[in-house]
Amino acid sequence: MSAADLRITAEPIDNGRCKFLVSEPIHAGGVRRFASPDEARGSPLPEAIFAIPGADVTEVIVSGNLVTVVKRSPAPWPVVGKAVGRAIRAALAGGHQAVVTKPAASGSATADDALYERVADLFESQVNPMVARHGGRVELIDVQDAVVMVRMGGGCQGCGMADVTLRQGIEAMLQQQVPEVKGIVDITDHTAGSNPYFAAAKK
Amino acid sequence: MRRPSPRLLLLLPTVTYRTVAFVEAARRLGVEVTVASERPSTFEQANPAGLVTLDFADPARAAGQARAFARRHVVQGVVAVDDDTAVVAAAISEELGLRGNPVAAAAAARDKHQQRLRLAAAGVAVPRFELLATAEDPERVARRASYPCVLKPLRLSASRGVVRADDAAGFVAAFQRLTAILEEPDVARCGDWARQILVEEFVPGREVAVEGLVTLGVLTVLAIFDKPDPLDGPFFEETIYVTPSRLAPTARQEVAACVQAAVGALGLREGPIHAEVRYNDRGAWLIELAARPIGGRCSAALRFTAGEGGTGNGEQVSLEEIIIRHALGMSIPTIEREVQASGVMMIPVSGAGVLREVRGVGEARKVPLVEEVVITAHPGQALVPWPEGSRYPGFIFARGGTSEAVEAALRAAHAQLEFLTEPAD
Repeated sequence: MSAADLRITAEPIDNGRCKFLVSEPIHAGGVRRFASPDEARGSPLPEAIFAIPGADVTEVIVSGNLVTVVKRSPAPWPVVGKAVGRAIRAALAGGHQAVVTKPAASGSATADDALYERVADLFESQVNPMVARHGGRVELIDVQDAVVMVRMGGGCQGCGMADVTLRQGIEAMLQQQVPEVKGIVDITDHTAGSNPYFAAAKK
Repeated sequence: MRRPSPRLLLLLPTVTYRTVAFVEAARRLGVEVTVASERPSTFEQANPAGLVTLDFADPARAAGQARAFARRHVVQGVVAVDDDTAVVAAAISEELGLRGNPVAAAAAARDKHQQRLRLAAAGVAVPRFELLATAEDPERVARRASYPCVLKPLRLSASRGVVRADDAAGFVAAFQRLTAILEEPDVARCGDWARQILVEEFVPGREVAVEGLVTLGVLTVLAIFDKPDPLDGPFFEETIYVTPSRLAPTARQEVAACVQAAVGALGLREGPIHAEVRYNDRGAWLIELAARPIGGRCSAALRFTAGEGGTGNGEQVSLEEIIIRHALGMSIPTIEREVQASGVMMIPVSGAGVLREVRGVGEARKVPLVEEVVITAHPGQALVPWPEGSRYPGFIFARGGTSEAVEAALRAAHAQLEFLTEPAD
């Protein structure tokens, strides 16, 4: 597929966060989260996104064909998004890995591995049995720098109350039971949900 | 010692489009949030401070439930996001002594007939109106009706069931069509209002929507949106909203004065309002006023700038942040809309059927000035045209230098979209 054929769709969550869905995979080796330009060094795509002038990007998360960008700048996504799109196209056209594979376990990675086990236990024993009552499921994708990445499926994907489940349910439970967790990121493509438990119906 | 964050009770019906906008706005403000819905969350037992179930169908009962909740977790503010919860929020604010509207005012705003009665009595310009029972003989009523007229349900949202009639035959057809909607099980069980129809004079003219914030009964206009597609019927599905309005300054002042008069006549005291106003050579006419913010995803078309004169020098503030700050009595950094023109198109339903696929989204997003195309309908969802329907399959957003350019961009993006459907069973 040529760069011209590549399709990138932006799905802003709010003015600070936006997901970019790319028509071909960017990184097949699980989730990579970059919380600073230093962490991105060696990976062309996040390096380029952190370097977007005036965007003040604070976080880049890459998983499969999804790129989530978090920024501090008030610049609107239509402006920053175009630069992110260019960075994605350039990275994929470059012939090199857009995102390098996760390095071998460091001290922080070891801590993340331990957190992953605890969060996975919580998901299996409590979170998923709860969301299953509404036909949903929540997949733990990874834990990086104490930030939990999840993907929602079934009745949760595209559900009008998914953000309530994420913030008031899962995040609150993590704060209580795994307080070392610093945050939670939903990398779900909610627009692809075909059977949401609560579908928005009013104007 | 660190002062605890204020707690907001956020009334979110499970079918609202507004969840992310309000929950994320509350997070940005650092306030504690309790989400109240009419159906229980599966996490309610796990997070009893953050989730609660309230009976939205019975505001007095919901206020009692909120009182019981507030004994365990102190609540400093309550925010409603739609017509039904606006009355519930008023009942809760009265019960808990919070900033809000009197229940009678919110209830009058909720019911189109009650609203008309109050506005007409106060001298606010409204169409002539009459209340009918669905049990009446439409042919008999049609003989004495004035034309053109508009038949409306008293409470349904998003112009569902609103039909224009130009003659007696059209009246009978509209009456029967609306009655059939009111007899649908999800509507019929809602109360006596589902057995009544409001008939009112059709008011010609340009229609605008007014977004405002009321404080101590005084309206601050946040934005006036033009609705450039003529809303002349026979159905009243909305499409494009663009702000700033291209009405002349004096006309905008008349519109604002009309809405302020309606706020006063209804007795609204605090919180967001959304009003529909017609403007013609006889002045501004109040068509409807709701004690809630703009619906759907449309609030994303509004952005306020905490800079110098709205020039974008500072932090951006969403409508939801302003509403939450107001409810909690927090300072509001700005209520000045950004300098750019902005608009949203509620994507119309072109035909009935089960959605199979939406084509052209990528092309629509590439249209200059278009910021986002959001498809909210999912494959397999039944698309129902107006007047029976009330769900837009998606929204298009654009920003640019002028309202004309924004409107053109919205139309160009919409022209790229193709909704592929198959017949419903």
